[in-house]
Amino acid sequence: MIPLKWYLALSAVLFTIGVAGVIVKRNAIAMFMCIELMLNSVNLTLVAFSSYFRDASGQLFVFIVMTVAAAEAAVGLGIILAVFRNRESLDVDDASLLKL
Amino acid sequence: MIETLVGITPFVIFFLLAGLAIGCAVAMVTQRNPLYSAISLIGVFVALAGLYLTLAAPFIAVVQIIVYAGAIMVLVVFVIMLLNVEEEVRRPARLRYLVPAAALLAAVLFAEAAFVFFFVGDPPAAAPGGPAVGQTVSIGTGLFTTYLLPFEITSILILMAIVGAMTLARRTAVRPGELDVPGAAVWPLHAVAPGRAADAAEVKAGTSAEAAHALGLGGTPQQKE
Repeated sequence: MIPLKWYLALSAVLFTIGVAGVIVKRNAIAMFMCIELMLNSVNLTLVAFSSYFRDASGQLFVFIVMTVAAAEAAVGLGIILAVFRNRESLDVDDASLLKL
Repeated sequence: MIETLVGITPFVIFFLLAGLAIGCAVAMVTQRNPLYSAISLIGVFVALAGLYLTLAAPFIAVVQIIVYAGAIMVLVVFVIMLLNVEEEVRRPARLRYLVPAAALLAAVLFAEAAFVFFFVGDPPAAAPGGPAVGQTVSIGTGLFTTYLLPFEITSILILMAIVGAMTLARRTAVRPGELDVPGAAVWPLHAVAPGRAADAAEVKAGTSAEAAHALGLGGTPQQKE
């Protein structure tokens, strides 16, 4: 059986890549996708612990994280559409003020 | 020979999937075109679904494919297509003096992670042969008994997300002059106030009384029943 900490290390690597992407990227949609990557790396951690301790709670948490991610996708993409409509740009530097 | 092959197969699969996940994640961050980023992210999701299968969690693996790769990424790709997103332009690097500090902090982070990885042992795993936790049965049972309240709250969250997305996506920005009241007609000024027929002003109103009120000619708009 593959040791637990390998999964945790992979999850940490993916999370770090996601954080780096959020910091580096300027496109709002790309930042959004990096956030999705971070959520997924946490899901991997939860499933790994759930599988190793034979406790279904971890996978239920993953289920709920997925629904939250779906809600986040709907609202986040709506916000991106609204920002694009107002500013004709997806660059987050162009949207650094909350007013027009 | 066969035994060693069977012994190392899970490791080979793990490293293949982990390499696919990390490679796609790096590609996602380094791509400048958001569409290629989205496709790389789908690769990450598929690799993670495979990893869930190696962890004996088939239900989560399938939901991962359906919800993430199927629904969320289709939505993202749809928005990318809709907005006709251009490639990111390369910008001059600012705050260049922060690069050494970032490298130092990253080194500290990697040292900490490596210490944990090599010197902290695995916790004792549960005894094999217990109940299978990744099956749909166990997840459904947990979802509708122990975690019933979070499950119901989740439905309210989804409802709020739907309402919020519809509110955000509706076109609300109205420029002056664009305000169109359904059923409103354009009334020429001489029909409202014959004395000011020389003015070329036009007002939009439902009745002549409303138009006169809008022009400041006295008269109050009649309340509609």
